[in-house]
Amino acid sequence: MASIWTLQFQPISLQPSIWVSKRQTHLNFVKLRPEFRFISSSIKQLNRKFVLGANSGSPSDPDEPAVKTQTITVAVKDQLSKLHGTINSFPPLVFVMNRYGGSNLAIGLCIAIALLVIAVRVYAVRKLRHRTPGSVADLVRRGQLRSDRRGISRPLKYEDPFNNPMVKVGKSNSTVEMCGKVYRLAPVTLTEEQQAIHQKRRSRAYQWKRPTVFLKEGESVPADVDPDTIQWIPANHPFATTANDIDEDLAQNNVYQKHGVPFRIKAEHEAMQRKLEALQGGQKLNNLMIDPRNAKDFERPFKEHPGSREQVEQSSFNNQTSDSMPPTSDPAPISDESNSSSEETQKL
Amino acid sequence: MLSVHNPFPTTPKPSLNLNSSTQPFSSTFKPHFPNTLKPPKPHKPHFTTRTQSLLQYNRKPQLAGETPRVVVITSGKGGVGKTTTTANVGLSLARLGFSVVAIDADVGLRNLDLLLGLENRVNYTVVEVLNGDCRLDQALVRDKRWSNFELLCISKPRSKLPIGFGGKALVWLVDALKSRQEGSPDFIIIDCPAGIDAGFITAITPANEAVLVTTPDITSLRDADRVTGLLECDGIRDIKMIVNRVRTDMIKGDDMMSVLDVQEMLGLSLLGVIPEDSEVIRSTNRGYPLVLNKPPTLAGLAFEQAAWRLVEQDSMQAVMMEEEPKKRGFFSFFGG
Repeated sequence: MASIWTLQFQPISLQPSIWVSKRQTHLNFVKLRPEFRFISSSIKQLNRKFVLGANSGSPSDPDEPAVKTQTITVAVKDQLSKLHGTINSFPPLVFVMNRYGGSNLAIGLCIAIALLVIAVRVYAVRKLRHRTPGSVADLVRRGQLRSDRRGISRPLKYEDPFNNPMVKVGKSNSTVEMCGKVYRLAPVTLTEEQQAIHQKRRSRAYQWKRPTVFLKEGESVPADVDPDTIQWIPANHPFATTANDIDEDLAQNNVYQKHGVPFRIKAEHEAMQRKLEALQGGQKLNNLMIDPRNAKDFERPFKEHPGSREQVEQSSFNNQTSDSMPPTSDPAPISDESNSSSEETQKL
Repeated sequence: MLSVHNPFPTTPKPSLNLNSSTQPFSSTFKPHFPNTLKPPKPHKPHFTTRTQSLLQYNRKPQLAGETPRVVVITSGKGGVGKTTTTANVGLSLARLGFSVVAIDADVGLRNLDLLLGLENRVNYTVVEVLNGDCRLDQALVRDKRWSNFELLCISKPRSKLPIGFGGKALVWLVDALKSRQEGSPDFIIIDCPAGIDAGFITAITPANEAVLVTTPDITSLRDADRVTGLLECDGIRDIKMIVNRVRTDMIKGDDMMSVLDVQEMLGLSLLGVIPEDSEVIRSTNRGYPLVLNKPPTLAGLAFEQAAWRLVEQDSMQAVMMEEEPKKRGFFSFFGG
């Protein structure tokens, strides 16, 4: 019994925020977590149980169990009062929440925390977007996207090279601090009169006319040509010549062409097209030609006539002699074509 | 280099006559008004110094002049930074929202595509267009980083061309670009080859204005002066100067001519002053013009400012001279 009681006492001796092991499951309040609403009711049950437990002790010593129960109840009551006191010291919110159930409280807490985390995250992401380069706002700034479509109301900001934060202009506006060095602003002293003087000097010193006539070294200067407009080209110039072989009108048209196939490509295509057509036309003609060796197959049988027979014999002899003669150009394709034609006729 | 703008616009107001170049503004200035007109309210000066920084952020530069503006970038001397200037100024203009076509007019040596990182995308050149192997729109290479920037190369021809033919061809090209379906580009920038030979004559043929790139050394200045003379003889009057590869420390030590000395020698308006920057070489290696770097480098910033002035047909009114940094006192440690 003492052992039972000690077991039962153990949870009582713990602090109110109790995490009870699964072994101590006899008492209601030790099953529960810090759900203190059950403590007051369970304390009464505990008193009864202890009383009952104490009463179920051995009857051999009638006085001892009674004494024991009394001491036990007193101890329990002390502990419980202590526990009760600690519970009362908690904020009242705990008790208010206890009214609506522990599980609902947990769920509500979780939802609130999740919402808070989401809000913080959204705020942080928005801030990051504004800080990191390469956002859509950069596309708008560069002119790739129209700002009015996107509803961006902020005006476009141009980076001003005259207002760079690296450059610190002094209070008197005559000194500039930049990259650890100090500079003094010195005004430009060139006047318009001085500029005009320089222009006159140069016009006297450098008298030059744009060349319009280009001659090779050794060529004679044509008459009625201003010698200042002649440019002499050395013979070994890498990419200049005086010969005008280029069709300038064609070149100009090529430059101004906006649509379609470029001229040279088109010309090449057309040339290839013509060549293909010519080749195809040549093949057809060759297909139409009849092989004289096979002509006999197509001849109608003649009525026997002594004159006609002689003519036939002569023609056959002539054919034989022509066949025995050396072949002319491209014999192979002709013979191939004739064979193919003969095969076709045989098939037919 | 940072430039400081004169606060007054270059176009004078009808009632006030301001010399915006050198005359200091005085509070005692009295304008003359016709008797029939009511005098305007007196303009109260808000400053006393000649120069003042002008904040112009949150606005696009206003395009001046007729479009397309055909600008040739030349120098005379080789290696001063023409192609770098073309690439960076061209991309800066594209970033500012203007449509740009850059033409590499160097027939024998093609470099602009390398600087822009577009060398693998150049399939057709102007020579193929002239021969009829492709159309003009097929020869234009559109930059994927900025779709309003296009590149056109004039490659070395397979056969020799008549020497006067190149100039005509460029004029046809500019004309064809003006009349294309997408609309005329705002800027046509021509990268001129070095020298004053046939390539130079070809490149300057269709141009209306010129940007002369020079470095603060005597050899470059002599060539630049000659080129300026030739440009003026050919009828190009709007010539502005970019001084490249400026070393302020050497200028401070009197080892290099200052920008004002250069201007005094050439007598040209300043479009920009570009400091020496090792990032130029790195950007060439990457094929990524340095105006696209973030954060921008000093040279990139200077190129952007030069592009801004090019758009508005403005020029620099002040230059920066390096000085010794101020010696801070004991109390500067505490923020004083």
